[in-house]
Amino acid sequence: MTIPADLKYTKEHEWVRIDGDTATIGITDHAQEALGDIVFVELPEVGRQLSPGEAFAVVESVKAVSDVYAPVGGEVIEVNNLLESEPEKVNTDAYGEGWIAKVRMNGDTVELLDEATYTTYLEE
Amino acid sequence: MSELAKTPLYDEHVALGGKIVPFAGFAMPVQYPAGALKEYHAVRADDGGGLFDISHMGQIRVRGAQALDFLQYVTSNDVARLVDGQVQYAALLNDDGTFIDDITTYRLAEDHYYLCVNAANRHKDVAHLKAQAAHFDVHIEDESERTTLLALQGARAASILAPWVNIDLGAIGYYRFATADIEGRKVMISRTGYTGEDGFELYLPNALAVSCWRALLARGAAPIGLAARDMLRTEMGYALYGHEISDAVTPVEAGLMWITKLDKGAFIGRDAVAARLAQGPRQRLIGLRLTERGIPREHYRVLAEGRPVGSVTSGMFSPLLGTGVALAYVDSEHLAADNLCVEIRNRAIPAERVRPPFVRSRVKKG
Repeated sequence: MTIPADLKYTKEHEWVRIDGDTATIGITDHAQEALGDIVFVELPEVGRQLSPGEAFAVVESVKAVSDVYAPVGGEVIEVNNLLESEPEKVNTDAYGEGWIAKVRMNGDTVELLDEATYTTYLEE
Repeated sequence: MSELAKTPLYDEHVALGGKIVPFAGFAMPVQYPAGALKEYHAVRADDGGGLFDISHMGQIRVRGAQALDFLQYVTSNDVARLVDGQVQYAALLNDDGTFIDDITTYRLAEDHYYLCVNAANRHKDVAHLKAQAAHFDVHIEDESERTTLLALQGARAASILAPWVNIDLGAIGYYRFATADIEGRKVMISRTGYTGEDGFELYLPNALAVSCWRALLARGAAPIGLAARDMLRTEMGYALYGHEISDAVTPVEAGLMWITKLDKGAFIGRDAVAARLAQGPRQRLIGLRLTERGIPREHYRVLAEGRPVGSVTSGMFSPLLGTGVALAYVDSEHLAADNLCVEIRNRAIPAERVRPPFVRSRVKKG
């Protein structure tokens, strides 16, 4: 299982890559592994305003339906439409082609963990 | 999970990296490291071959001079139509016509039968059968705990199994069985399954469980967990107790009148089923195929013109169709509706009614 050092994490197992005022969001390797084969991703609408902690996307595996929560507040500016045809990218490339949405941040966030803290959190 | 029962293959599942979950009181593999989707394809492929441990299921032997009369009375199907070496799908019904269980009946001889029952219903079934047996010259024996049941399913099932058994598998037709000798022990092999693919189910003494499991894997069968098994059976429209059938529905609603022979003579539940048939069922089990993206799940509502008219009993993403499919109970007056939807997260996703199976069955019929 990989936990890249350049990302931030949530206790709900999302990752966020912050670049200026843009946050790219996905679910962690741990999350995709726990869910199993992802067969469906429901993406948010571009333009939607998110509050931190709000459920904004859904990933469905063969057996389970799971909400994805916004690590940061702000406006959805782009979504990964590739996941509509290839939802398995969430399994095979969770931190890359498996990204879910990009958000223009308004400054509000949930508690974001660094790599070391998330690693410890997973071990607990 | 210390209170869960284990099949004789539990350690094999753990060694293969199987993800173990509680199911019907047993610790069972829901999937192996390949994952449910790959396991599904390993069975559905044109060169498919998957091996399932289904030893949690129950086996009940019925013997005695009145075994036929007894089974005619306690099961819904016409046992008199069976010949030696034939298998029949049937229901055990309550007096009110609802399901105690769905079973398969194997005829070894006119006075000797073998029943395979659902794991979760086994104790209930045995108690019911023993209570009814008081009125017949018949002996009931629960052999579940000494029996390992494997399913080998897929287009390659016969070629995987053939070198390992001393009988001609080609001579076993669909829903027929034969007895083979393996390592000096008797093994019952039936051409049956729960996947819609050609294949076999093997009833083994527990002592053969590990060697048989390993031998079939070594011949190229892939281990398949419960998640893929559920996908395979749902795609075929096969009923699963606790989902499509239960003690709340009768064969009339479940579309299982083909295993309920009202003209065979008296049997438990007959009068109630006949009455339900005459009055017409309030709901019917149907197949739905979503025409837009989404995955229907159990208990999701079925809508017609925005109003709830039914509910999903089993739903899945069909990898072969690339779309969501569901089995659902729908109110009788809406069966012909051309505007059915499944409600997914407050959105009405359009669905078309289709007659299961959702994908082509490849069992070797006739």
